Amino acid sequence: MSTTEKPTLAAKPGQKGIDPRGPRFGASITAVLLLTTIGLALAGATVASVAAVVLFSVLVALFAWGAFAGIQRHPYGLLFKALVRPRLAAPTELEDPAPPTFAQGVGFVITGVGLVLHLAGVPFALVIAASAAFVAAFLNSVFAYCLGCQIYLLLVRAGILGRKGAAAA
Amino acid sequence: MTPLAIVATLAALVAFATVLGLVWQRQNGRVRVSSGRDTISPLDVAGPLGSSATLLQFSSEVCAPCVSTHRVLTDIAGASTGVAHVEIDVTDRPDLVSRFNILQTPTTLVLDPSGTVRARIGGAARPDTVRAELARIAAA
Repeated sequence: MSTTEKPTLAAKPGQKGIDPRGPRFGASITAVLLLTTIGLALAGATVASVAAVVLFSVLVALFAWGAFAGIQRHPYGLLFKALVRPRLAAPTELEDPAPPTFAQGVGFVITGVGLVLHLAGVPFALVIAASAAFVAAFLNSVFAYCLGCQIYLLLVRAGILGRKGAAAA
Repeated sequence: MTPLAIVATLAALVAFATVLGLVWQRQNGRVRVSSGRDTISPLDVAGPLGSSATLLQFSSEVCAPCVSTHRVLTDIAGASTGVAHVEIDVTDRPDLVSRFNILQTPTTLVLDPSGTVRARIGGAARPDTVRAELARIAAA
């Protein structure tokens, strides 16, 4: 494979790219916390159930933070910058913050709906929503799976997103 | 649930996600040879097609691997004569997304000089895969 010059940190000083390992680091924390939530919810005891709902609510809030404030302002991002990034080599390339921000939005919708349904008394709503969010976070962190690559397209195909400009007429 | 059952459930969930990830990883960047029935005209993409082949990339703004695929395809198009790289944002062209049944971004369609779809690469495109498809079209 011929490696042509790749944009590096130094090459793109004006661009507001992010280190792609930041969101993956955040997703791994999210995955562990979601797994903890599921474990607590399955335990059945009252104390554990309450703890599961509290932890899950915190996760919903964190997803909302990432989705609405942007992935750059997410608390995990600050943790990554302070603790992890200094120990790593410079990233080979920087990434657009839009894809991980979109993924945070997807996480917010899944966990938010799960929380609302759980509080409305729907059985297993919390465990199912937390499991779906766990799979997404795990794939993101371990396999660098890009959630926006498929979900976004589903929304376009459903007619929810899409600019009906002259080109599409 | 007993603690043992909880641990088993969580382990099963992790195993399930791992299998999903491995399946996705295998599919990512794979080529599918097309039947040769679909054709794209320069009117569809609002621009000229390449005289020997066209790499038609479907992208979106929320897609990180689209950027690396863009780089791979522009490099190859720049280094070969008659190969054009055309990138389409799925947000702008939901019509083409439905017509070609695009399920993920990036998806790259490899077109021959007449605009007939010869191959389809789902996911991040690797340079050697793209070059092999271009060679196949050139040899046809």
